[in-house]
Amino acid sequence: MWAIVVRNALMASRNVFFFFELLFWPIVGVLSIGLMTRFLRLTPEQASFVLIGTIALSVVNVCQLEVAYAVLLDVWSKSMKHQFLAPIGIRHLTAGSWLVGMARGLAIFVLLALLGGWAFDFDVLHPGWAALGAFLFGCFLTSWVVGVAVCALITLFGNRAEAFAWASVNLVLVLAGIYYPVSVLPEPVAALARAIPLTYFLDAYRTHYGFPSEFAAPVATGLALSALYAVLAHLAFLAAVRRARRTGLLLKMSE
Amino acid sequence: MLAIDARDVVKTFRSGWFRPRETRALQGVSLAVPRGAIVGLLGPNGAGKTTLLSILATLLTPDSGRVTVLGHDVTREAGALRRRLNMASGRPSFLWSLRVGEIIAFYGRLYGLSGSTLRRRVDALIELCELGPYRRAPYSELSTGLKQRVALAKSLVNDPELLFLDEPTLGLDPDVAGRMREHIARLRREQGITIVLTTHYMREAEELCDEIEFIKGGRILARGTSGELKRQIGLGEVVALKLDPPRVAWLGEAPGVLRCAEADGWVECTVDDAEKRLPELLRALHAEGVIVRNVRVSEPELEEVFVELAK
Repeated sequence: MWAIVVRNALMASRNVFFFFELLFWPIVGVLSIGLMTRFLRLTPEQASFVLIGTIALSVVNVCQLEVAYAVLLDVWSKSMKHQFLAPIGIRHLTAGSWLVGMARGLAIFVLLALLGGWAFDFDVLHPGWAALGAFLFGCFLTSWVVGVAVCALITLFGNRAEAFAWASVNLVLVLAGIYYPVSVLPEPVAALARAIPLTYFLDAYRTHYGFPSEFAAPVATGLALSALYAVLAHLAFLAAVRRARRTGLLLKMSE
Repeated sequence: MLAIDARDVVKTFRSGWFRPRETRALQGVSLAVPRGAIVGLLGPNGAGKTTLLSILATLLTPDSGRVTVLGHDVTREAGALRRRLNMASGRPSFLWSLRVGEIIAFYGRLYGLSGSTLRRRVDALIELCELGPYRRAPYSELSTGLKQRVALAKSLVNDPELLFLDEPTLGLDPDVAGRMREHIARLRREQGITIVLTTHYMREAEELCDEIEFIKGGRILARGTSGELKRQIGLGEVVALKLDPPRVAWLGEAPGVLRCAEADGWVECTVDDAEKRLPELLRALHAEGVIVRNVRVSEPELEEVFVELAK
C-alpha cells in the first residue's frame, strides 16, 4: 500500500494538471458560487447550504479521481501488466490511492473553508468538530466507492470507459443534492438520490445550519450505504481484473 | 526438477460484442523447463509466444490444461507464485514522469521491500544494469536501450527464481543487444535463474538458449537444441571442397549427399551428416586421384530452420 502512496504522491508533484485539480478549479468554483449567492441575496444560512455543496463537490471530485489513479496512471503509461504481475491485491491499490486522495481532499477542504470564511463569512466549524469529521469522512467514503467503481469500469472496458468514468461522478453529485435539497427532485430521481450515501452526509451537515433533516439517522444510513457499496465496488473491481486476465485486456492495456 | 510443467494448454481469445470472433492462440501446448535452464520460444508473429509467456507469468488465465510453475498452479496459487517470478518486455513502458531510481524502488515496494533493504537492492540493480548516470533521469527521456535496461532491473527487483523475457533485445543497436545478452547469460551463470525468453532473433536464441521451442499457430512444431532442430528439419550441412580437377561427376550421387552445386571454384555438397560423410568423401576422392586443396564445413543457420518451419 505504501508503494502506491509514494507513487501517487510523486506523480502528483510532477504533473502541472494536478495544480489545476488541487487549486484552480475548486477556488473558481467557490468564488463563482459564493458571488452568485450575493447576487441572489441569499440568507447566510442559504449561502452556507450552497457553499457546503460546492466544497463537497471539489473534495469528492479530487479524492475519487485519486482513487481512480490506482488504475488510470498505469493505463495512461501502458504499464498495467507490471502492477498486476506483482504480488499485491486490489485492496492495496485502492487503499493506497485513497490515502493520497484523502490527503488531497483534506487540503482542498481546508483551503476552500478558509476562502469561504474570508470571502463569504461561511463558518465550516459551526456544526462542531464531530459533525465536520462525519461529513468529511462521508465525502471520502463516497469518493472511494465512485473511484473503485471507475477502476472496475476501466478494467472491464479499457480506455473506452474513461469518458463514462468522468461523467459518472458528476451524475452522482448532481443526484446527491449538491445545490438543493433532495425533496425538490421529482420522485423517481429522488429515489435514486436516496440511494447515494453523500445525500445523507450533506443532509446531516446542513441540519447544523438550520435546515431540518429529510431523513431519520442520516449519518448512520450514509455509513451503512457506503459500507454496502464499498463491498460491491470492491467485488466488481475484483471481477473486472479476473475478466481482464481471462480476455487478455490486461495485456492489451499494456501495449 | 522442473521449473515449468505445462500440459495441453489451450487459450482462445474472443472479441466483438455483436459479431464475436475467436482467435485460437494456443492449441494444446505442452512445455517442460528444467530449473536453471534458458529456454527460447521462437516463432513468427502471432504464433502464440507472448500468450504462452503471459499464462506462465499469471497475467493470463488458460482456458484449459494444467500449468505448474515453481510447484504452484498458475491459476489457484497465483499470489504465492508472483513473489517468485518476474518479467521484462522488449517494449517496456513505465510511469513516464518517475525517475529511474524511483521506478525500481516503486516495484521493489510492491514486492515488499522497504528501508535499507530496498535502498541496497535499488543500488545493486542500478549498478548491475549500468544505469548509474541515469538514476535521476525521468523515464520519458530515456533511449530505447536504457528503457530496456530499466525493465531488466525492474524484473530482478524481487530476486526472482524464474524470469520471463519477452523479446528483450527488440529494437536495440547491435552492441547494446550484445551487452543485454551478456547480462542475461550472467544472470543464469551467477544466480542460477531459470529464464524463458521469446525472440525473433535466431542468433540470440542460438547464443543463449539450452533448448528452443518453435511455436506456430498455437502449437509447438519442434523443440530441441539449435543443433537438434537443424537435424530434425533435415536441412543438412554443407561440405565445400576445392578440388583439382574442379569437377567430379559422381559426387552428387555419393551416399549421404543430398545435392551438389558449384560456386566460385568450390563444390558445395549438402550432406545429411558432415561428421560421417566427410571422411567417406575424402577417401573416395583420394581413391579417384582427385586432389582436395581445401575443405570447409558449415551448419545451416538457425534462420534457415526458422524459415523452413514457418512455411
